[in-house]
Amino acid sequence: MTIDAEVQALSRVPLFQGLEPSKLRLLAFISDRMEFQDGEHLCHQGDDGDSAFVVLSGEVAVFVDENEVAKVGQYAIIGEIAILCDVPRTATLQSVGTTHILAISKDDFLKLIAEFPKVSLEIMRVLALRLEKTTRELAQARPAST
Amino acid sequence: MEKSLFQFIWKNSSRYQVAILLVTILSYPVSYILLDLPKTITNEAIQGSNFPVELFGMQLGQIQYLAVLCILFLVLVVVSNCIKLYLNVYKGRLGERMLRQLRFELFQRVLRFRLPHFKKVSSGEIIPMITAEVEDVGGFVGEAFALPAYQGGMLVVQVGFIFMQDPLLGLAAISLYPVQGYIIPKLQQKVVRLSRQRVKNVRVIADKVGESISGISEIHSNDTSAWHSADLSDRLYRNFRIRFDIYNRKYFIKFVNNFMNQLTPFFFYFIGGYLVIKGQLSIGALIAVIAAYKDLAGPWKELLAYYQMTADVSVKYQTVVENFDPPDLYDKQRLLDDESLVFTGPLILDKLGLSGVGTGQEVHNVSLNVEPGKPLAVSGVDGSGRSELLQMAAGLLSPTSGSVTINNTNFESMPEATLGRQIAYVGGHLHVWTGTIRDNLFYGLRHRPQEKVEYEGSDLRKRQRQLKEAAMTLNPYFDLKARWEDYELADAGSMQQLEDKALELCKVAGFSRDLYLLGVETVINPGETEELNGGLMPKLVEARKALREKIQNDTKLQNLVEFWDPEKFNMSANLAQNLFFASPKEHFMTIEHVPNDPQISAFLKETGFDVLLTDIGLQIAKTMVELFADVSADSELLNRYSFISREDLPEFARIVNEQKGEQRRKRLKDVDRARLIALALKLIPAKHRLGVLDDDMREKILAARKQFMETVGKDNERFEFFDPDSYLTTLSIEDNLVFGHARLDRRDARQKIQQVLQELVRERDLIAPIRRAAFDYQVGIAGAKLSSHQRRLICLVRALLKNAHIYVLDETANSVSATDKTLREDLRKLMSDKILMFGVSNESVAEEFSTTLHLENGRVIER
Repeated sequence: MTIDAEVQALSRVPLFQGLEPSKLRLLAFISDRMEFQDGEHLCHQGDDGDSAFVVLSGEVAVFVDENEVAKVGQYAIIGEIAILCDVPRTATLQSVGTTHILAISKDDFLKLIAEFPKVSLEIMRVLALRLEKTTRELAQARPAST
Repeated sequence: MEKSLFQFIWKNSSRYQVAILLVTILSYPVSYILLDLPKTITNEAIQGSNFPVELFGMQLGQIQYLAVLCILFLVLVVVSNCIKLYLNVYKGRLGERMLRQLRFELFQRVLRFRLPHFKKVSSGEIIPMITAEVEDVGGFVGEAFALPAYQGGMLVVQVGFIFMQDPLLGLAAISLYPVQGYIIPKLQQKVVRLSRQRVKNVRVIADKVGESISGISEIHSNDTSAWHSADLSDRLYRNFRIRFDIYNRKYFIKFVNNFMNQLTPFFFYFIGGYLVIKGQLSIGALIAVIAAYKDLAGPWKELLAYYQMTADVSVKYQTVVENFDPPDLYDKQRLLDDESLVFTGPLILDKLGLSGVGTGQEVHNVSLNVEPGKPLAVSGVDGSGRSELLQMAAGLLSPTSGSVTINNTNFESMPEATLGRQIAYVGGHLHVWTGTIRDNLFYGLRHRPQEKVEYEGSDLRKRQRQLKEAAMTLNPYFDLKARWEDYELADAGSMQQLEDKALELCKVAGFSRDLYLLGVETVINPGETEELNGGLMPKLVEARKALREKIQNDTKLQNLVEFWDPEKFNMSANLAQNLFFASPKEHFMTIEHVPNDPQISAFLKETGFDVLLTDIGLQIAKTMVELFADVSADSELLNRYSFISREDLPEFARIVNEQKGEQRRKRLKDVDRARLIALALKLIPAKHRLGVLDDDMREKILAARKQFMETVGKDNERFEFFDPDSYLTTLSIEDNLVFGHARLDRRDARQKIQQVLQELVRERDLIAPIRRAAFDYQVGIAGAKLSSHQRRLICLVRALLKNAHIYVLDETANSVSATDKTLREDLRKLMSDKILMFGVSNESVAEEFSTTLHLENGRVIER
């Protein structure tokens, strides 16, 4: 798989949707492509998060407190909050079968943002949209519960 | 040492100087006849009329006579030039010999300096003295007596010749010599003074450069490069001014001399012309006199140059030598004696005092006895006189009062052969020599060559010549090629046993783990050490296969390594390794050099890979330029991820730009082509994922790989192929065992492999051989590739290995940590019958010892 396929995968990630193709390419280039065997852990719950994972192929199981809560497949992004702020991992990730993952390290991602302010604007916009959506959902949910 | 240059030359080379003089005198008659012959030819053979002439009983006609004289002239020209050639070679050789002797003498004197003297002189000053400053002495020695004799003789001959033609003309020729003889030395004196200043100034410059290099981290951390630049620049300006003054005076002297020389012909033409007109002198004689005078200018000029050179070289010699004659120089015999006493019994320090060195380095009236088997801890903070006391007890520092004695002999009267073999000292400042760990561990056993190397044939002749030269220049006869390690001193019988012993002591010192880690990084030097390693290489190849099996069969480890496989493309390795499937035996050969190597570039051309690689390089360059074009130059992204450095990026941008658009594709310059090829060769497909290699290309590379091996041959001088069945002497032990690349896309692959590796090595009993292999580890300049802790341990093992009677350990293993505590216990056990003095700054550590001594301000404090 080459960098072009990775760029394609990245472009499907909502967080990076607004980014120019050339920046996506750079992001793909500075990310590490990893291969995980069946049962191998991507990260452990409670660890310091230092990178986000984009599933290029295969499936990843998500465990919270040793209970499997979800399975995610191709083009899913997991742990993306870790590359924006310092929070411990909220789940353990385990590879199901052989998976290929693009790991975006926090340090490099922040350097990229520092280098291109436009990238951060795009990301801010996506986050703001998300916040707005969450707030709206919360507002909708509140009267329902009372 | 001889204070003046001429004393030195005469004392050491009088015989050769006399020989030179004799040959020179021999050349006088030849020169005289050569000078006189042209006159005879013109006057008698060409213009003469009384023919036939009788010569050696033969009647000769005019033409025959001319021919005989001319042939005689030709013979004399040949003879005189042959003499000159012989003399020049002889003088040059003599000069080099004297220079060698002088330099060696100076170095030997450095070895005889007492330690405190090194507080006053710096290596930055001493190095140019021994190397550059005395260089001119070599050129001068051969000329010292011969030149004045020869040129002076010439001058006398020629002046004599002129006098014989006409006394009056002779007087005219030399009339200005007294004036010149008075003025020139006056001017020269000033030049000499300036030369002295210059030499000293250059020394300061050398010292400042040296100091800047050793203090470079201070310069950077304090931002003082401007200050140092100004400081050096100031010295350079001073140098310029002195030199300019010297030039002014030197050329003024030349001017005065030339002027006076050309003034003399004025008298010739005037007086000589008058005499010819009056018929008192033949025209032939006048022409000969004028010719002789022209020849007179030559010797006179040479003599003047000689005078200036003498003044210059003398001053250089004196300014060098005066630095090598401190009054407290150790006696030469102390260095040369090879007889070593064997110490027994107690070490007695009697009313020991040291003063006049600096505050905090003084010792007052310390008396004590140290018995063998009763280790003594000497405690005291820095500046308490502790390290000075210990250095005196180790025979390194001479006390200003009192004495250190053992076996009723004072340390002062003992040669180094005794002190250096019977005493082991590991102090605050230690030194690890550039070379291998082996060199450093066995350093304490290298006192004298232990065997005589038997030479044969041409080697024997070479060695004999070397010995002859050594004798002539008062250099030592020691053979550097011989074995120097004295096995007996370490109770060993062979190198193998010595290494076993060293390994044992490394274990005691706690150096074993480090030794293993250094060992796996070691590149085994084939040949001499292989037999010592007891066939380690085949065992390592076996271990390599076992490791491969282990990794391949273990599901957890699977795919961690991409092994070298002649039939497979290795995605984790760069293109160069994939294409050539070999590593170069020459150390300087980096990827940047590869495209310019004739053998490789021929191969690339032949296989068409020059074009293929250039295309790949261009694609990579395009992508890199595109990706990093608007990344700012100081961004870390560029340094970490682009495999084009920041400096080179503009260059590649230019190349990419030039190659844009097929139709106006410019011819690629060779330099740029080499750049692109090197870039392509650096590509690691698994890491860079640029998609520039398709399956087809990989097939081509695999095919070319075979072709490369066929072209250069499996056993060649320059490349070593990645053969799974043989040990590679260009790779470290670890690389040989893993024999592949840790996969870059597997998390912590390298650490996991190293762990497996260590387990395997332990299972196969290879730990000890690998530690042994670490003996060949290159420690870098003065041990720069080792940590300071490792350096200290090496020095400790070096001391332990030499089996001395007295051990003085200072600032070594003296912390309160558990490892140091165990080491101290082990050391005490090891030295149960030896004298041990242990310097500590921490008093709680001192309490471990049965006897202690506490120092404060150089005095013993009773408790």
